[in-house]
Amino acid sequence: MAASIAPECNDIKEKYDTCFLKWYSEKYLRGNTTSNECEDLFAKYKTCLTKTLKERGIDNMLDEVRKNTPETDAEYNRRT
Amino acid sequence: MKVFSSLCTFDYSWEEVSTANWRKYCPWNDKSTHVVGVDTLSRRVDPDTGILRTERLITCNQTVPQWVSSLFGGSPTSHVYEVSYVDPVLKKVTMCSTNLTWANVLNVRETVIYQPSESSPPSTTDFQQEAKITALCGGWQKIKNKVEEASVERFKENAKHGREGFEAVLEMSRRVFSEQRERETSAA
Repeated sequence: MAASIAPECNDIKEKYDTCFLKWYSEKYLRGNTTSNECEDLFAKYKTCLTKTLKERGIDNMLDEVRKNTPETDAEYNRRT
Repeated sequence: MKVFSSLCTFDYSWEEVSTANWRKYCPWNDKSTHVVGVDTLSRRVDPDTGILRTERLITCNQTVPQWVSSLFGGSPTSHVYEVSYVDPVLKKVTMCSTNLTWANVLNVRETVIYQPSESSPPSTTDFQQEAKITALCGGWQKIKNKVEEASVERFKENAKHGREGFEAVLEMSRRVFSEQRERETSAA
């Protein structure tokens, strides 16, 4: 799996990615879309990552670019 | 604005492609080494549609042409924001990416779609890619054109490498999955 931009988050990221991939291929693609067994791992990974995003000013860039996501959400986050 | 688009078909099912897509930038892919980080920012399944929405931050280390770096300066590290949607019912993956770095001089918007191929749906998957590249820097149209052209060229190169690298990931994924299945069957 690809690395994190924050090297100190690599271990927890690896655990989360493995969990997600297993869930995606074995549950989600087979129609079980509601379970969320990887959420605890994701919360830990996110706490770790957020620090680096702040330090490098990436969080501000993300706030800016997210102004456009309602557009793509309207197009793809629903079924017509 | 310049538009780059490409189409291709992968000899793998949509399920395989959409799964391998999550690890497109892993060590199995030795063609996209400019991608140095892939971080998931958020992930959510829509309770009504079952559509999986994911936000990721892609980090690249890439050398840019000398004249570009002398114009815009900066470090070789750049970031891309990607929001993707997986529709498990329609069997469609849509990924929309925008550059975060140099956002005030250049806007690159890419849309990638993976869908079961219309010609032989169960076993092959179509890949559609479109990128819209717009130079935003003030000044001469000539310079803007040059910036856009150079970006399209770079995009083309990366797209070709991306395809080759992804083929390697697909092949490895299939092998690993079948080995895993074998182990599970023999253990059962």
